[in-house]
Amino acid sequence: MPPFKDEHVLLIAPGSQMTLAQLGLPETFTPARYRFPTRMFPAENKGEYEPYKVREHKRETKAAPSANGHTEAPKEDVEMKDSAEGAPANNTANGDSNEKSDKPEGENGTDNTQKAVEEILYEEDVTSEEGAVYPIQNGRIVDWPCFFALLTHIYNSLSPPFHTPILLVSQPIWSARDREAITQFVFEKFKVPGFSMMDAALAACYGFGVQTATVVDVGKGKVDVTAVTDFAVNEHGRGIALEGCGGDAMTDRLVELLGQKGFTREMCEQLKRSNIAEILPPGTSLPGTAATARQGVNPAAAASTGEANGADGGSRGLGDGNGNDTNGEDDEGVLDVAAIVSGDTNEYLANMEKEKATNKKGGVDPKQPRLPNSKKERASFQFEEFVQMDGENNTSGTQRYLRHSREIEVGVERFLLATPRQKIGDRLTSGILEDIATQIHHTILAVPDATKRSELWDSLIIVGCGSRVRGFTQALLGVITQKFILSPSATIFTSEIPSTFTTPHHTGGTNTPAPMGQQPGPMYHPAAHGVNPLLVAATHNNPGMPIAPGTPGMDPSIPTHHRSSGHSQTPTSVKTLRLPEYFPDFKDQGNTNAPGVSTGPSATTGGHGMEEGAFLGAQMGAKVFFVLDQGLTKGYMSRVEYNESGPSAIHEYIV
Amino acid sequence: MNPSNPPQAAEYGGDEVSAIVLDPGYSTTRAGFAGEDAPKSLIPTYYGKYNADGQEKYIYGDDIFVTPRPGLSTYNPIGKDGIVEDWDMAEKVWEYSFTSRLTGAKPGNPFQNGLNDIPAEELPTEMEVETEEKPLADSPLLMTEPGWNPAKAREKTIEIAMEKWGTPAFYLARNGVLAAFASGKASALVVDIGASNISITPVHDGMILKRGVQHSPLGGDYISSQIRALFKKNSPQPITITPHYLISSKTAVEAGQEPQARYKTFAADKAPDASYRALLEERTIGEFKECVVQVWPGPNKLSNNGPNGIPNEEAARASPGRPFEFPDGYNQIFGVDRFRVVESLFDAKAAIPDPDSPFPAPTPAQTLPELIKASLSGVDVDIRPHLLSNVVVTGASSLLYGFTDRLNQELMAQFPGPRVRISAPGNTAERRFGSWIGGSILASLGTFHQMWISKKEYEEHGANIVEKRCK
Repeated sequence: MPPFKDEHVLLIAPGSQMTLAQLGLPETFTPARYRFPTRMFPAENKGEYEPYKVREHKRETKAAPSANGHTEAPKEDVEMKDSAEGAPANNTANGDSNEKSDKPEGENGTDNTQKAVEEILYEEDVTSEEGAVYPIQNGRIVDWPCFFALLTHIYNSLSPPFHTPILLVSQPIWSARDREAITQFVFEKFKVPGFSMMDAALAACYGFGVQTATVVDVGKGKVDVTAVTDFAVNEHGRGIALEGCGGDAMTDRLVELLGQKGFTREMCEQLKRSNIAEILPPGTSLPGTAATARQGVNPAAAASTGEANGADGGSRGLGDGNGNDTNGEDDEGVLDVAAIVSGDTNEYLANMEKEKATNKKGGVDPKQPRLPNSKKERASFQFEEFVQMDGENNTSGTQRYLRHSREIEVGVERFLLATPRQKIGDRLTSGILEDIATQIHHTILAVPDATKRSELWDSLIIVGCGSRVRGFTQALLGVITQKFILSPSATIFTSEIPSTFTTPHHTGGTNTPAPMGQQPGPMYHPAAHGVNPLLVAATHNNPGMPIAPGTPGMDPSIPTHHRSSGHSQTPTSVKTLRLPEYFPDFKDQGNTNAPGVSTGPSATTGGHGMEEGAFLGAQMGAKVFFVLDQGLTKGYMSRVEYNESGPSAIHEYIV
Repeated sequence: MNPSNPPQAAEYGGDEVSAIVLDPGYSTTRAGFAGEDAPKSLIPTYYGKYNADGQEKYIYGDDIFVTPRPGLSTYNPIGKDGIVEDWDMAEKVWEYSFTSRLTGAKPGNPFQNGLNDIPAEELPTEMEVETEEKPLADSPLLMTEPGWNPAKAREKTIEIAMEKWGTPAFYLARNGVLAAFASGKASALVVDIGASNISITPVHDGMILKRGVQHSPLGGDYISSQIRALFKKNSPQPITITPHYLISSKTAVEAGQEPQARYKTFAADKAPDASYRALLEERTIGEFKECVVQVWPGPNKLSNNGPNGIPNEEAARASPGRPFEFPDGYNQIFGVDRFRVVESLFDAKAAIPDPDSPFPAPTPAQTLPELIKASLSGVDVDIRPHLLSNVVVTGASSLLYGFTDRLNQELMAQFPGPRVRISAPGNTAERRFGSWIGGSILASLGTFHQMWISKKEYEEHGANIVEKRCK
């Protein structure tokens, strides 16, 4: 088999919301070139799917009454044609947008030019996702035919040459059988020469260039927490698809808070993604409660509990333009804290004037715009939506839409998106962050190699688009600190004792069992005894410094000394890993897309901009498995091996 | 080869299916594919039950440790002696252990799973919905059992595997034998320190010597009860364990000071019940066992004098204490007490008395040295030296710090003549999953294929076949 080349490697990373894909490895790794929404629309034939929502649009051409009374036949004709034309489009599921419009049939048309013709037009519907099938939900593949159709669509869209291996980033929740089914499909449908699956958590570790880390993947509907030690995923105690913790849960919370103020789910979704939505570290008081006492009486003060929002309405609602939502709101008379400004530019400017006036009336500090977001009581974001163009009438049959943006102002609710929902269902959750923190604690505690735990706490990797919400990482660290970090008095001994007690232990005194079989790893590393552990810890966690292979075994932090008689409790500290700096494209990505990077306390934390770190890792993995060692390390399963041992052999190759 | 050439048409035709190994324990249930080196799936055998929306709901797996449910209570389908008590729930827990990570809930309809090209006209219509696919319809199953499993329980097990799960082939193996296999030995004296039981299983040429099988309840749960007893009579103040789920934040306090934490409260109708709390407390105790508890390494008992005439207690006291912080922030140094909680495994008199404990005070016959003695006296004299030179230590509680040293000391003191050799894997996973790993080895052996009880044989001979075939 000829060697694989960089440009002939296909990467696919399916997610519940977006599937990332890329053909070929660029010279320096970049964020995924293609993003496919992970959804398909049912095609006309049952069990088949199309990538785009295609709307059938019937239109009657107004014409003079039929001369020969032959009216029924054309309709049948059209229908037949319709199914004939629909089928190939479905089967290929290729990248063409299926905007096809039927032209009146030739034969019939020439004869009866004056009859009423019903035309069927196909057009892509960009505005709605109605009827979409999401084959992956909470990471789990729920609709196999649809998932396979999506893979086919991606494969065909990128149309790689035959000699292209595929690397698929797998979700932790996929069972062994799921992986086998995918393997079988990929080999038999695409006839690939090589295939490999890489666990999403491990891919993130590759991306960050570490071999031991705790990967927290905040997805759409779920969170995965994985402890990776020495490039091995710890399956036991792994937090798999923790429900009610993903990005959707935050949107749901916003809907709950703002729903009665006329916010739609889409608005809340965009609010969550905007840079004014922020999770404040635990214990931070909301603006308008204490910090902004100078603003006088504040209707939002009650909102700090997140429960009484609906009760008092503010008086600062602003007029609006032609937005439907806001009109409805006006009618209902429930104007309140969340005033909505909308309209087109002129109107918007006019409104700005009005807003200024109102603000002055409200006695807002003129310096307010300079305050960081977390101090501002109110802020606004751009809401984008599709608005049907009004000017045109529907004679052409196609509806056109305008991307329309308007500004919406919200109050302190935007800080409450991680607070527990009132309708919690079965789970007695105490908020997303606390659930994730508990899961991290559980996962790390389940790692059998206790000497690794301290390092795991000190190398959190937070990926997944749900973590892009501003302040997420910071707040999560805050919760962990509050709940789990050991107090110094419990650990002070670990730093005091070493000088006095390491010596007798090495001489094998009566109280020091020579550990049978289980050699404590740090013993191999006598150098650590003389070094100030804090110093070592500090240099050890040097951001951007890739850890050389072999170092984690001699993790020089506290357990080193304490290990002499067992090991000590964790965590004594918790840190996130910084992204490596040698992939500027990923950093740029973070700067442009991540809402939290501009200013504010959250900007200092690592992690933002690397929410797609798993994809970076997948590129590295692909480079190593397919190109560099060409299968020497069993990084991928070749077609020959598949033919010999079948899909179940993939488990030997999954990394 | 030109990358634009289509590949040859050769395709995979066979169906290689690896067996599933299921090792149900009292505290955890392990499941995975044969041939792998660790079970893929590890779940607590405890399951949770609660009422929501007017119906009973169950939760299995690790999730129970992370988010509580309203009115949640936890149960264990396995009785204290390691024998299944609640078969219906045991079946469900076990089923979850392999469906969650290994096989998936159930295979999709082959007509619609996208793997087969079926011409549209051949697609079956709605009426042809298959009877529900069974979860193990295409995987052979190897299960483990304790050496004292009664015949009735064994028959029930094969019944579930064959009829409920639809496995095509089944085998039931003693976990002692498998643990010996995992250490690469066909003959061994297996010392298994589990959660609910400690057991001694003499294995000779891959068969257990039934008369020599001994077990007693002084396992991990008993040690937990000793730790609770210790906390109760702790000297500055009794320690109560407040699990993490009841605490919203804690503040650092000095050692031995009252904890300062903000507690979480649940509405009375929503609060998880005492059994859940006990299960979560067990997590903290588990951490305590890992970080603090230590087995007095010997020689001699903790209450006796050491070889140099100094009381062992004195020596233990002289060793530096170990700090531990509880979820509510309370922290303390544990000195000699950390040796005491496990001492009664070797010395019944050393047990910390606790009238509230569910465990009665241990009798001398229940301690490890006595069990081993009793076990050896139940086997043929000729093979005793061989067994003693092949002592295999397995079970998660044997990971207690210093355990194997002490066991070695005790055995040497008891059997001064023969050469005593303990083989205890250093790898934590190998120690915890000894019997699973043995099962994984066994089920992937080519020669084992003739041992399987096939579905046909089961249908022909009934459940009783397990008594004849799995000895």
